[in-house]
Amino acid sequence: MTVPDIRMVGDDALSIEVDDPRHRNVLAEHLRHSGRWTDVVPGRRNLTVGFDPLAVSPAQAHAVLAGALEHAPPGTQSASEEIELALRVDPESGPDLARVADENGLSPEAFLRRVCASPLAVDMMGFMPGFAYLSGLDPVLRAERLALPRQRVAAGSVGVLTGQLGLYALAGPGGWPIIGRIQEPLFDKVAASPFLLKAGMKVRLRVLGSSS
Amino acid sequence: MALANRLAGNASADTAIEITQGGAEFEFRQASAFAIAGASGKLSLSGKTIVAHRTHFARQGDILSIGHPDTGFRTYLAVPGGFVADEFLGSSSTCLPAGFGGLEGRALRPGDELEFDAAMEPAASLETPANLRPFMTASHVLRCVPGPDYAALDDAVWSDVFEATRRLDRTGIEIRGPWPHLADGALKPSAAVFPGAIQLTPSGNAFVLMPDAQTTGGYPHVLQVIRADRHLLGQVAPGDRIRFLRRTSEQAHNDLVAKTAIFADWLPGFRF
Repeated sequence: MTVPDIRMVGDDALSIEVDDPRHRNVLAEHLRHSGRWTDVVPGRRNLTVGFDPLAVSPAQAHAVLAGALEHAPPGTQSASEEIELALRVDPESGPDLARVADENGLSPEAFLRRVCASPLAVDMMGFMPGFAYLSGLDPVLRAERLALPRQRVAAGSVGVLTGQLGLYALAGPGGWPIIGRIQEPLFDKVAASPFLLKAGMKVRLRVLGSSS
Repeated sequence: MALANRLAGNASADTAIEITQGGAEFEFRQASAFAIAGASGKLSLSGKTIVAHRTHFARQGDILSIGHPDTGFRTYLAVPGGFVADEFLGSSSTCLPAGFGGLEGRALRPGDELEFDAAMEPAASLETPANLRPFMTASHVLRCVPGPDYAALDDAVWSDVFEATRRLDRTGIEIRGPWPHLADGALKPSAAVFPGAIQLTPSGNAFVLMPDAQTTGGYPHVLQVIRADRHLLGQVAPGDRIRFLRRTSEQAHNDLVAKTAIFADWLPGFRF
């Protein structure tokens, strides 16, 4: 493969651009298995690895990553599992739904129809434990981050930004406008696999109390 | 926390209690050694004044009172063997946003009973060497390297004075000051962020991320507090003044090696 540019992130992490989400996930697995990195975090178009600066200098870490990328598998993974989730959209569950729909010149119902008709898939997990980034949102729908992030959004909240949804498995701070809340628990502390969603899953949303 | 644990005869990462802005009382149900480090206001054991950074011995029924610190923000209480706590994903830390770890994943409340092995005793009564005691101040200098989105700033950031606001917890600290206004479209595709990342938001203020912060984010990542100085963030209180000191990543590496060496004799194997 062509080795992408490596850039420093602060004093103990390195980042590369990887546009293809499927390739990003394969590459992340490859780097995790190498055991050389303290963190491997896929982003929306990038992949960041953390290193222990006591063990290696930034220049050494850079050389190790360049070497790992040269020998990385070229493959991509294919999305597999599909899951349907129910969405509550009352004003408490989706405090920003009416405003965001209005900014798009749509009724809340028409906005939600476009959300539910979108071919959504989990692009990556991150941000907070269990937070799922869903790609595939109808590109007609536009939304921007809040100017001031909320200190707390409820567990199960569904945030929207242009082109993507974000599902908050746990309550916590968040900067995405919230359009609803998933009925099913996205997190179960005692389950063998505590988080319901995994990178690569396809997701269908169904608005509660609606037949469509 | 590592310093309090050391005085209790523990490993650096054993489970201790973090007390934010003081104001806590503990009753010992059994005689035990204990130690306190970090920010310290007035400390007393059953009415008798005691000092931080020393191993103390409580009798059954003694009341430990931890006052509000004048400077600094977090105080650490350690007992031999550490407190019994929930573990999740390999850590007993309480992660409040997620509700993991500690005691039921929440902050302690009056009436909670905490377990530990009171039969354990530290090998000796210890005192933290004077040169290793963190200096508590309301005016912080944080060494930083430019972040991936440093272009959103100008070099005045290295001479301006900033201030911590009241929006501050273990996920982040809001920093007010003469930040440049963000250009439209400055928000980025979400990328990895780590504790110490300073992100500029459209509100005109910045946030520095703390240990319980998110792992990815889309606000421009303009500065990164170097690893050697990230522990200082825990003692930043609302209203404290903050200045940034510019480092290259190679300098930051050397700073970390140097600071680790200073603590190596007292805290063997400790990593910042």
